[in-house]
Amino acid sequence: MGGSDGVLELTGLRRTYGDVVALDGLSFTVPPGQVFGFLGPNGAGKTTAMRAIVGVASLDGGTVRWNGAPIDQDARRRIGYMPEERGLYPSMRVAEQLEYLARLHGLDQARARSAARYWAGRLGLAGHEQAKVEALSLGNQQRVQLAAALVHQPDLLVLDEPFSGLDPVGVDAMSDVLAERAAAGVTMLFSSHQLDLVEHLCTSVAIIHRGALVAGGTVDELSRGGQLRVAVRVAGDDRAQWTGGVAGFATVVGVADGTATLALTRREDAQAVLDVARRAGPVEQFGFERRRLSEVFRDVVGAEVDEGGTVGAGVAARAGGGGSAGGAGGAGGGTGGGLSGVAGREASR
Amino acid sequence: MSRSSWTLTWLVARREIIDRGRARSFWIASVLLLVAVAAGAVIPALARGGQSTARVGIVGGPAAALTETAREAGRISGTKVSVVTLPSITVARADLRSGRVAAVLVGDSEVLVKQQSLSSGAPGGTLAGALSEIGGLQKLYAELPAPVATRIARSGISLPVRGLLPPPKGLASRITGLSVAILIYVIILTYGVRITIGVGEEKSSRVVEVLLTTLRPVQLLAGKVIGIGLLALAQIAAMVAVYLLLGHAVGATTVTGATTEVVLAAALWLVLGYAFYCTAYAAAGALITRQADAYNAALPLQIPLILAYVLAYTVLYATSVNAFYHVLAFVPFTAPVAMPVLVAVGDAPWWQVGLAAVVSLASTVAMARIAGLIYGRAILRTGTRLKVRQVLRSSS
Repeated sequence: MGGSDGVLELTGLRRTYGDVVALDGLSFTVPPGQVFGFLGPNGAGKTTAMRAIVGVASLDGGTVRWNGAPIDQDARRRIGYMPEERGLYPSMRVAEQLEYLARLHGLDQARARSAARYWAGRLGLAGHEQAKVEALSLGNQQRVQLAAALVHQPDLLVLDEPFSGLDPVGVDAMSDVLAERAAAGVTMLFSSHQLDLVEHLCTSVAIIHRGALVAGGTVDELSRGGQLRVAVRVAGDDRAQWTGGVAGFATVVGVADGTATLALTRREDAQAVLDVARRAGPVEQFGFERRRLSEVFRDVVGAEVDEGGTVGAGVAARAGGGGSAGGAGGAGGGTGGGLSGVAGREASR
Repeated sequence: MSRSSWTLTWLVARREIIDRGRARSFWIASVLLLVAVAAGAVIPALARGGQSTARVGIVGGPAAALTETAREAGRISGTKVSVVTLPSITVARADLRSGRVAAVLVGDSEVLVKQQSLSSGAPGGTLAGALSEIGGLQKLYAELPAPVATRIARSGISLPVRGLLPPPKGLASRITGLSVAILIYVIILTYGVRITIGVGEEKSSRVVEVLLTTLRPVQLLAGKVIGIGLLALAQIAAMVAVYLLLGHAVGATTVTGATTEVVLAAALWLVLGYAFYCTAYAAAGALITRQADAYNAALPLQIPLILAYVLAYTVLYATSVNAFYHVLAFVPFTAPVAMPVLVAVGDAPWWQVGLAAVVSLASTVAMARIAGLIYGRAILRTGTRLKVRQVLRSSS
């Protein structure tokens, strides 16, 4: 079972609420030891999926496996969960609340007490231990909520929008903790709408839309994926008129301050573009452009929303996601583990 | 349940106890209830204190015969009499005015009281009336030799009255019955609504979502009703103890008489009633989405007890057996109030109490099943307030 240690596998999750399809065959795999981001537009099914993982929402179909087995009550004690709608006893004191939750997760009195003290201090709540939760600022309540998810040293962290409502200091503290927990080998899944933050923090992401995976993999893979782009600037050509010579092997995506961004179909064409630019004048800048995660996101989510014609691509990606999840334990898991969405998507083109 | 399951349930119960035990309102309410119970035990005894014993003065005549006459009159009128021999009519008048004696028997000639009652024509059951009647009879017997007259007086002039049925429960028992009807109603209501509010708080604050990652709904539910139930039990025990101990200490007849069984029946039905209703109150809490709805959600559960309480008056002040109320005493929804009331009136033999208790226990199991089902399905569902039928129809 060594291959599945700490791995969280979602396979074909389905859930409908009346006429609303919340999850439509969602599949992906989260490897341990990574900060793993879970992205998707509002209503994509992130919260439903996370609630299903921790067992507070039931599924119409599909399986959630962790360490190679379905999650039972014993396994759930090893999960730390931060719900989207925050949940704490408003009139209970911070330290008592953390201690109580730690004990519910199986810690004895002494360990629960010291863990509560440790996490309160670690998350900048020192001095607030005896305050009632309702008396704290929203940002501090948020910290208590994270402490509540961490206080029993969980091996799997499921955090729904942990960054929402935090000030920059809070964001830094939260980021540090997530990175530290991932480095300690914890399996982690967190959702967020702050894509720049996710790009900075995450090793891998899964992007879902309408209840199914539309893209997934390491952030590096996703940035390199899609159309290849180069940014080129030729001295003295502020309107990038030199690009008139690249027709046929590259298309101009945009020009800003004399720097032209060109989309290529083949990597080899970059040399041809460089040749054209050189002939026009001294090249001041030439480089492959990484796609930002936000671009990837808009690409896989926005396109589907905007044009009916690209829905097919989404369906194909879904099929790819579902298909490769079956082999998740094997080759797909290698580097990023997030797998499949990208492969599926590229294969469909 | 496994051991760790009990541990989890106990952790939840413990939190409830600590949480409530810290609230000042809980202690204020508890103390007020205890004061009310103490007052219920002591005040009737103090009020009765002046009546239950009376001093009767005798002046002149054969002292032995007059003493027996006074004792016999006390027995008939239900008054404990102590006799004092007074030296003269003048002293007797002074003692009557100062209230040192309640009545004076002047030889075989007259009965003196401080103020004659309005219905002097037929003095009936009063002490003075009894003195006058027996004194008159004694006068008849005066023709007999003195020892014979004294013996007749001592052995009793009136014929004993023996009933075929045990005596009906006295007023004291009925008053106790009314008090316990109110108390049972108040306690089940108070702690029940407390459960509804607690469950509603967990649901609306969404803390339940965190709790249910490690707890099963049944563990959370059980822990809550056990925790709050233990608090209720402690309060019941304190009230019964105060009532019985204080009552015996001051010799209150409401306590020392047959009403002890009323108090014990009340304690039994408080426990049974709480057990029956607690899960239903929890289910009501799971249906709401806002704290403010807690009282409305709990309202339907109060109606049966209110009904039983209101109808209790028709039983406590009636002389005949009320068949409808007997039915209520066997219906688990109304039994917690109705059965102790019947016990107080003396209309419920022990086997009826036992049978009703068994019915109530069986219904408690059924109620817990249904309420647990509703709770489990509704506790995680947000949005609008849910209806029972809607929850039962849906899948979990």
